[in-house]
Amino acid sequence: MNRVLIISFGLTFLILTSCKKAGSLEPIENQDWFTGGSQTVFISGSNAFSQGFPSLAGDHALNHEVGDAAFEATFVSSPAPIQQGLGPIFNNVSCVSCHISDGRGKAPETGENLMSLLIRISISGQDEHGGTVDVPLFGGQFQHRSVFGAQPEGDVNVSYAYQTLQFPDGTSYEMRKPTYSLTNTYLPLPGGVMISPRLAPPVFGLGLLEAIPDANILAKEDINDANGDGISGKANYVWNVLEKRKTLGKFGWKAGNPTLMQQTASAYLQDMGITTFIFPQEASYGQTQYDNLNDDVELSDSLLYAVTFYLKTLAVPARRNVTDPAVIRGKELFTQAQCAACHTPKQRTAVNVAFKELSNQLIFPYTDLLLHDMGDELSDNRPDHMATGNEWRTPPLWGIGLTEIVNGHGNFLHDGRARNLTEAIMWHGGEAEYSANFFKNLPTYDRNAMLKFLKSL
Amino acid sequence: MKINLVSKITRILTFVIVLHSCKKDEIEQTTAVVTNQDVINSISSNINASTYLQLKTNTADLYTASLVFVSNSTEQNLNICRDFWKAARSTWEQSEGFIYGPVATENIDPRIDTWPVNFVDLNAQINGTNQFTDTYVNNLEDALKGFHPIEFLLWGQNGTKTSDQFTPREKEYLVALTKNLNTLTSDLYDQWNASIADSYIYHFKNPSTSNPYYDNKKAVFQEIVNGMIGICDEVASGKIGEPFINADPSLEESPYAQNSMTDFRNNIKSVQNVYSGKFNADGVGLEDLVRKYNLSLDNTIKAKINTSITSLTNITDPFGTAIISQPTQVQNAITAIEDLKNTLESELLPFVNQYITD
Repeated sequence: MNRVLIISFGLTFLILTSCKKAGSLEPIENQDWFTGGSQTVFISGSNAFSQGFPSLAGDHALNHEVGDAAFEATFVSSPAPIQQGLGPIFNNVSCVSCHISDGRGKAPETGENLMSLLIRISISGQDEHGGTVDVPLFGGQFQHRSVFGAQPEGDVNVSYAYQTLQFPDGTSYEMRKPTYSLTNTYLPLPGGVMISPRLAPPVFGLGLLEAIPDANILAKEDINDANGDGISGKANYVWNVLEKRKTLGKFGWKAGNPTLMQQTASAYLQDMGITTFIFPQEASYGQTQYDNLNDDVELSDSLLYAVTFYLKTLAVPARRNVTDPAVIRGKELFTQAQCAACHTPKQRTAVNVAFKELSNQLIFPYTDLLLHDMGDELSDNRPDHMATGNEWRTPPLWGIGLTEIVNGHGNFLHDGRARNLTEAIMWHGGEAEYSANFFKNLPTYDRNAMLKFLKSL
Repeated sequence: MKINLVSKITRILTFVIVLHSCKKDEIEQTTAVVTNQDVINSISSNINASTYLQLKTNTADLYTASLVFVSNSTEQNLNICRDFWKAARSTWEQSEGFIYGPVATENIDPRIDTWPVNFVDLNAQINGTNQFTDTYVNNLEDALKGFHPIEFLLWGQNGTKTSDQFTPREKEYLVALTKNLNTLTSDLYDQWNASIADSYIYHFKNPSTSNPYYDNKKAVFQEIVNGMIGICDEVASGKIGEPFINADPSLEESPYAQNSMTDFRNNIKSVQNVYSGKFNADGVGLEDLVRKYNLSLDNTIKAKINTSITSLTNITDPFGTAIISQPTQVQNAITAIEDLKNTLESELLPFVNQYITD
């Protein structure tokens, strides 16, 4: 996407707006189609999530390109001339294998192998940093694949319970609730293992999210619901490996990682079995599958930085159909339904003189990056740092309307149980129960308007 | 005076009518030549679906040839396998200008075209005892199946493998992999087969606000053009650029059959096919729309496609060697393909945004 195009789109929007609101100059705050600030890209096809920041140039552009290639590169067993170090146990062979087209993973159907969803595991208690306690001889993540000759930790099975429900207007919808189980494990699993299925989330816009100042996130915290709106909002504090202290958790379904780099390094280690300077010890260390190779760190520091940089500079696609009356109506209802209380539309990134594309950007991610109680039905019953089983970090909604075109499905929520936006909304419980009920009881036109609004994101 | 006025009005009216009919003729003529829907129909059927159908046929031929080679392991039968691999590869690379839809969302691309090959595990498979059943091969890691492991089996590390060097396990693996490749490419074609209900091509051809993927024809055209831009970028900065910038032949994607240069040309051919609407048969392409409004842009795009292909043909050494021995030619190819990409991005995409209004 080039600059000329963006400017011309931008001008078109400005002209459209000025025509519509003749005589009044709208404050920039309301121009929420520039979802990702100045680096918004105007693209709505299958590669909508794969665009770099349009104004990247020079070393930044090269760095993004190198990171892009590394993000796509497949790892193979050691020894190999290139891309060695896979496993010995792993969930997938490259970043892009789960984050297909930089987008969202898909939940397995009954009887299918896991492709882009993983299982976190732990036993009760807290480690020395307040984090989860690994399952002895299995670690913190269940690796269901292995290189030749090593044993995977076991198989993951899923079954769904289906329920058909009806909206007051008679329209029916179906909900499916998954039950995951671990079988054929290489050793007997100890008792009391808690499991948490996690779908691969889209990876664009992460640099902008990371650039939101902690203070802004914390300002929305309301742990004891002092304002009485039924919505709390709680920060997770997690171990920051490089800083050797707890800092605000921002990434992952339960905000279990403090920085994009640590999140990335953690995925390299746990998902692919690739060690980095942040996590230099194989996930299989101490297990029978451990490779005993003196080859760690397996991913060079520069490549880890490049991949992190790539993720940091993946642009956010612009909203579409913003002037459609149904979309405008849906946006009003979104606020009335209290969705916007957690899916905070607007954020502003911190000033960063060293990185103008990330600096002081008004963005519309639709998240507060805080934990919320989503009810028992969505609970994984597995605490993660300060998050309880019921608590999940509000996922950003930007780009959500492009999920079908990019990934060919509409699997939402942490385990991908929802197969479309309607199901996703109807699973909202706990603090979000009011919103789900509000949506449920809307007249047909308004319910569709709310969905149209979400699809415009 | 009156007469004059009447005559004047008549003349003006005649002029207007003539003008009007000229204009109308033009519109009718162009409408008869090509509509936006015609272009979408033609590209999706005549290019995308036809390419995938040919790929399915090529891989079926490869599978059959592998069976023949296994039962009669002559040098001639090995060469037939190699020829069919090259034919399938050529078709696949000509599909990479439209790498959107099921090939990505159904995870087919990584299962048939993952690189690099996992040699350690591949050798372990060959030296092991596991039966290469359909299910077993289907569950193999991506780096152990598809084009490149088959290429490695057929040519060997240095491209010098002879028919008598195949072990029984290698032959079994070859048959299983070629069968799997044919199954996956058949699945891919099914998604572009208009006679299968609810296949992807149906949605591609019928954009609407209730379509899960494409709101309008403009979105389909943007998809088509972005596909062309994507492969130019991939060839220039990835496939050619990475081994060249790093001066590292080990980063070459198809070294065993020394097929990389052919791959690159076929990738640009893919762009040409979509633009011209020609694959095996002639059809309507983007060019039919572009030349209607902007002949100069049409000429520019065609010239840049040709320059790109010529610049690739000018690299005469095998690619792994050429990145060291022919740096000027390699750099010229990168420059030409980047130039094509820039034109598609900064001129063809805006053209589509301007003229496709439905």
